Amino acid sequence: MSPEELEAAIIAANTINLEVYYYWCTGFMILIHAGFMMYEMGASRVKHTLAAGTKNILAFAYMIPTFWMFGWWIYLAMTNGFVPDFEAGAGGVPWGESMGPNVMDNATGVFWGAFTLFACTTASIMSGAVIERIRMTAFIVLAVLLGSVVWILAASWGWHYQGWLVTSWGYHDFGASGVVHAISGFFALGVLINLGPRIGKFNTDGSANVIVGHSMPMTMVGLMFIVAGFFGFLAGCLIFPGTPISWSATQWANIYGMPTTLSAITFNTLMAVAGGMIGAYTKTRDPFWMMSGALCGVISAAAGMDLYYPGLTFVMAFIGGVTAPMIAKFIESKGIDDPVGAVSVHGYCGVLGLLFAGMFLGGYPQFSPDIPAVTFMGQFKGAIVMILLGFIPGFALAWVLKRVGILRASDAIQAAGMDVEVEAVAYPEDIKSI
Amino acid sequence: MFDSSPIESWEGAGAIFSFGAGSGTTILLFWLTVVLCVVPLYYTLKTENRHEDNHK
Repeated sequence: MSPEELEAAIIAANTINLEVYYYWCTGFMILIHAGFMMYEMGASRVKHTLAAGTKNILAFAYMIPTFWMFGWWIYLAMTNGFVPDFEAGAGGVPWGESMGPNVMDNATGVFWGAFTLFACTTASIMSGAVIERIRMTAFIVLAVLLGSVVWILAASWGWHYQGWLVTSWGYHDFGASGVVHAISGFFALGVLINLGPRIGKFNTDGSANVIVGHSMPMTMVGLMFIVAGFFGFLAGCLIFPGTPISWSATQWANIYGMPTTLSAITFNTLMAVAGGMIGAYTKTRDPFWMMSGALCGVISAAAGMDLYYPGLTFVMAFIGGVTAPMIAKFIESKGIDDPVGAVSVHGYCGVLGLLFAGMFLGGYPQFSPDIPAVTFMGQFKGAIVMILLGFIPGFALAWVLKRVGILRASDAIQAAGMDVEVEAVAYPEDIKSI
Repeated sequence: MFDSSPIESWEGAGAIFSFGAGSGTTILLFWLTVVLCVVPLYYTLKTENRHEDNHK
């Protein structure tokens, strides 16, 4: 074998390995969706359980074709802002050469699949916030807007090496604190303001009642599924080395081209999970928040997980775990009913993660000298963009759906249980519901 | 009708999916996919409305 043939064989082997790697990242990320489904079914009362689960699965089902129709195209075409670059977007046109079986392209399908699962995660984040009162059709429409348009627009701006947030401000968001979590959390806030609280959540004096879900164990197991799925999610944030589309021949890189390792992500994912759990449990002594603390921890550290010292990650995650329940209480005090704390866990911790990266990633060189260094102000401005890009579309579409009368189920349906709308009962043994 | 191959040889083949990239049939199938997403949504809405009416 000549040296040229040997090199070609190595590149071919690496390309197949890249394909296998992202394929299994995608498979692992399905655990996130399964976990969110269990999480919100457990947080629902018996009479709403199957509606919560069905809603979550339909979000998954609708996300896949819509992300194929226009989501991937948005990612490739919208790096400059709101004006599409049709040439760059050509690879994402659904009837184009790359968007189906192509023996010359081992990458597009697995990248599309991984990004589709990120989209499913965003829909799942909103899904828990709106349980027990949103109507199915409205939810699906909102989920498609969030997962196949808004989050991927944010990713095109801040999770693409040519995105304007990156090239203008040095925006750094390795594990998607902003582009997935802040976007989804603030989108959910915009929806919740229009949707209103569950019946019985607030008293006439404005004080809040605790509405207990029917299965805390199901919720806890679901959250552990999400933790397992994070290993697919965060591994999917790395770029595989040694192929023609890689940043490096020999080393992993983040999505911006800066070198890192899978080991770095392992250190920091585990430390973030632990820090968040311990922090939230210390603050609340509540099993629900202990498990949500794992999410708070990962999200608070995700933006800089490729570079942080594990001890720093633990501290950040602990802070996220301690403070997120306080933010959830504050949101509740404003009359907003967020049964799973999605706005605080994902919205607040996502912003916190971006700001932490601004505080602690100063001085790292970028892959290209043309890209500004990571700064606190760059991250701060990026966080503002994420808040607005998430909140405004969520609020606007929910407002429209409310005006046409299809956002919220009637009080009678809520009293009977949202499972009426899916024409099924979760527990035929006639378990009573609160 | 079932002759959907866009290639005549594996030599130098790229996109191999049925009917071929950019063909009229793929664009037709794209729009069929759109319809098959939107129509069930319409029927979901009708089901919801029926249940809402039943619980008035």
